Amino acid sequence: MAEINSFKLVGTEYKTYVPCVKKIPFCKKLKGKPIISAIILAVIIFGCVFAEKVGNHNPTEFYLQNLNTAPNSEFYFGTDSLGRDIFSMIWYGGRVSIAIGLMSMVIISVIGITYGCISGVSGEKVDAIMMRTAEIGNSIPSILLVILIMSVMGEENIFKISFVIGISGWFALARIVRSEVRQIRNSDYVLSAKTMGVGFFSIMIFHLIPNFVSSIMFVIVSSISSSIAMESTLSFLGLGLPVDVISWGSMLSLANKALLLNTWWVIIIPGLFLMVTLNCITNIGSFFRKETNRKHSNL
Amino acid sequence: MKNRTLIKDIIIRLLGFVLAMFVLSVVVFYFARLAPGDPLQSFYGDATESMTSAELHAARVRLGLDAPIYIQYIKWFGNALGGDFGLSLKYKMPAMKVVSPLIGNTLILGSTAYVLVFALATGLAIACAANEDSLFDRAVCKIGTAAYYIPAFWLGVVLVLIFSINLKVLPSSGAYDIGKSGDVLNRIRHMILPLIVMILSHLWYYAYMIRNKLLDEIRKDYVLLAKSKGLNKREIIFHHCLRNVAPTIISIMAISIPHVLSGTYIAESVFNYPGLGSLSVESAKYHDYNLLMILVLITGFLVIFSSIIAKTINEIIDPRMKDSEVSAWQR
Repeated sequence: MAEINSFKLVGTEYKTYVPCVKKIPFCKKLKGKPIISAIILAVIIFGCVFAEKVGNHNPTEFYLQNLNTAPNSEFYFGTDSLGRDIFSMIWYGGRVSIAIGLMSMVIISVIGITYGCISGVSGEKVDAIMMRTAEIGNSIPSILLVILIMSVMGEENIFKISFVIGISGWFALARIVRSEVRQIRNSDYVLSAKTMGVGFFSIMIFHLIPNFVSSIMFVIVSSISSSIAMESTLSFLGLGLPVDVISWGSMLSLANKALLLNTWWVIIIPGLFLMVTLNCITNIGSFFRKETNRKHSNL
Repeated sequence: MKNRTLIKDIIIRLLGFVLAMFVLSVVVFYFARLAPGDPLQSFYGDATESMTSAELHAARVRLGLDAPIYIQYIKWFGNALGGDFGLSLKYKMPAMKVVSPLIGNTLILGSTAYVLVFALATGLAIACAANEDSLFDRAVCKIGTAAYYIPAFWLGVVLVLIFSINLKVLPSSGAYDIGKSGDVLNRIRHMILPLIVMILSHLWYYAYMIRNKLLDEIRKDYVLLAKSKGLNKREIIFHHCLRNVAPTIISIMAISIPHVLSGTYIAESVFNYPGLGSLSVESAKYHDYNLLMILVLITGFLVIFSSIIAKTINEIIDPRMKDSEVSAWQR
């Protein structure tokens, strides 16, 4: 490279010469990015944040004259068997569901990254024990683990449920972090930081994490959607949030009653919102996933 | 010589298995006793409110709830070795008696789903890998990812809404109609909807893993050789690639057992299918810890035991697997 440059003639005006940078049009920049998912997710989050403005009824009020009303011009998505307005509940419930997803994500990433880093930088034996433990945790069916912890926790609220989902969901992340850390732990910058006497957590935050964050981004983002799904499953089973704390999951816990009454809107609408949100989050997450360039197929 | 190391391995694994079960039982036992929710409440129901404190204390002594936890555990462990896992506090029957008729139900549902998921996943993966980047492949990839993120319980409820309530073609709950426990056709009809839920919620996850593995495989040099020999696509994939991928598929199958088992939990609870899953959810709701204990232990037993079997089979098929770590964890 240097040789080619050394043969280049530089004009007298080299100081004022501005290389013209080709402008990439805005729409081309967006290519390959999950725009549709981002827009849909933005709309849902916007609706949830401004739930007071979007919803046209009080979500906690029981409209007893309008039990099980089909969707109409006053109750856009109908009412459930308790006479609550589903359209308003969707937006208020979304707040709780998304909050649980985010909180669990934070807990999962804090525990998973710390555990993985410690395991990655420590010696063979400690590493083996730590990884076996994580493996055992991973091999217990997650729903059983959560049920077990939930039954011990007593009365449920948003924080408890995210805590439970968080502490039972970090095993897979810890394994990935550990294998990434093992690849970079012997690099010179870690060594130089160590010789300068930098503490473990500073090395972790300033040297290790920035180097593997891109490869765990997908896992972290998709842990939001799996936590939301887990919360709704638990609430549906009657082990999560009670019916009076509105979330997408606890709205669906009325689904069995709705089946008897054959009121489809109580089941389909919250479920659709849940499904669309989960898919959008995953789509955005898989954008962060490293695309492996495959060579040409031999087949 | 080779045989002896295999036997030694198996013995070491079995010891590890016993140890794992022991640790599991200790952890669950402590957990259960530390829990809030008074076991007396679930045993006597509302009667506890009208009992005097002396009566309550007598009841505690009778049920062995007054001793320190480790003594309770030793007592429980001694009884458990003799097959006595204590009374189910809700059903007021020995826990073993509550559970034993349901194990079969769960095993039938779980193993059928397991076999179907992997048969279909392998088929789908082959179809996708053979037509890589075709319209079919891309469509299946998109639909599969979307379907994987449909919550399983919601899918179950929607299926009940469509097929049982509006079309009235399939039953919505139970494992068989009353008085028809021996009727195979009746059982199959009850299993269709839970099976659909389990297959749809697991299929793509595994199909995608196997597809990616196959895509890596068809880029190897021996495929080029086989092609230049004049073999057609089908022969190459079925006779060469699939054989090389088989150990990976088996290790994925081994890892997947807990995943599929947690699927049965949800499917059973949605369809009120009498099995271990719906019973665990119920016993967790009613703080019936003796029952929950035995359910956790049985699940742990199934998971650990089947993963040991899968590991051993794997090593017999492909000795290379022994040292290398299974790399099927990437999600």
